[in-house]
Parts: sequence; structure tokens; C-alpha cells
Amino acid sequence: MEQADVELRNATYSMFVELGRAPTAADVGNRLRLGRTDVVAGWRRLHDSHALVLNQHTDEIRMANPFSAVPTAYRVSAGGRSWYANCAWDAIGICAALHVDGMIESSCPDCGEAISLHVVDALPNDEALFFHCLVPASRWWDDIVFT
Amino acid sequence: MNLFRSEAHIDNWLGGRTPGATITVRRLCDLAHDWWGDRLDPEWQPHTREQNQAILDDLGLTGELWRLA
Repeated sequence: MEQADVELRNATYSMFVELGRAPTAADVGNRLRLGRTDVVAGWRRLHDSHALVLNQHTDEIRMANPFSAVPTAYRVSAGGRSWYANCAWDAIGICAALHVDGMIESSCPDCGEAISLHVVDALPNDEALFFHCLVPASRWWDDIVFT
Repeated sequence: MNLFRSEAHIDNWLGGRTPGATITVRRLCDLAHDWWGDRLDPEWQPHTREQNQAILDDLGLTGELWRLA
């Protein structure tokens, strides 16, 4: 990966944290003094290397894993801010990436009962919960949104 | 990749589909911190597949479902 793409990726992630939402190409372009075309071209290279995920129809950010650009079943509050995560693994991953404690709000996919999980010092407050991964790792990127 | 209230809820949710892998939320916390902990570091560099596989292996996630390739 070229260093310029690493810098584009890092700016995109930083702004996702700062804004509490996915930055637009214009947001990142203003930060890095790049035109939208250059930002999108870089994002496409990052998408191809699985460093982030674009909405293929709009060229806007869909995922900057573990962050989700769209509402999901996993809402994470941490450090006085909140974001959506792509899945349960990513929800805890937001706390991990920020190096802070956090709270994950979701619901059991089977029964719909609310789940509130606190992550404190990298540990869960409710050890009765279980995580299930349905898709084999070798196929995660076949359809990362489904995964 | 979801959280469930219990293993029984996973079985019920699967409804006869082939199961994937189930781990405790404690282990998921370990996995999430090892996998995502560097994601916002200023010196971040992309992980190789081998680095990611090593994270899984080191946590004992060694079954076929956890093979990245």
C-alpha cells in the first residue's frame, strides 16, 4: 500500500471518529487538500485492498471497519460519543480501537430481547453471552456486508 | 456475526442451518482487542493475512472456519 493511501485511510478513520459519522469525499478532500476525484480514486484502491468498504453505487464510505456508515443492530457508546458497528465483533472493536471502555446496545437475533454489554478494561460485564460467526473466514470478503 | 443470550438461542436462530463457530463473549473481547486495537494508531500499517491468521491462532481459534485462506 502506498504511503499516500495510508495517509488517506488514516485521515478517513480520524474523521469518522471526530464526526461520529462517515466523512464524505469532500470532508476528507478539504482536510488533505485533495480534490474529490483523487479522494475517491484512493478510496477505491483502499476498498480493493480491504482497508475500507465503499458503497459501489455512490463511492461513499460504507464501512471503515469496525465503524459502520449506516445504522445497524450494534450501537456503541464510548468516550462520550457513539457510532454504529458492523457486527458484534466490530462493536467491541470500536472500544478496542479507541482504547476506552464502552457500552454496546443490541438485541438477541433469536428472541429480540435487548442486550446491553459494557466493556470495561477490555472485559465484558456479562459473560453469559455468546458470539456466533456463521460465515467461514475464507469467505468473509466474498460479501463483507453480509458477513 | 452476532451476540446471543445463550447457546440455546443460537441453535434456535440457526433453525437447522449448518452452524458456524460459537465463542464466549469473553473470548470475543480478546479477539476484538487483538484484531482492532491498532486501527486508529497514527503509525497503522495494513495487516498481512499471515498477521491476521496469527491473531486467530494465538487465541486458539484454529478450526477450519477460522482459516483465512
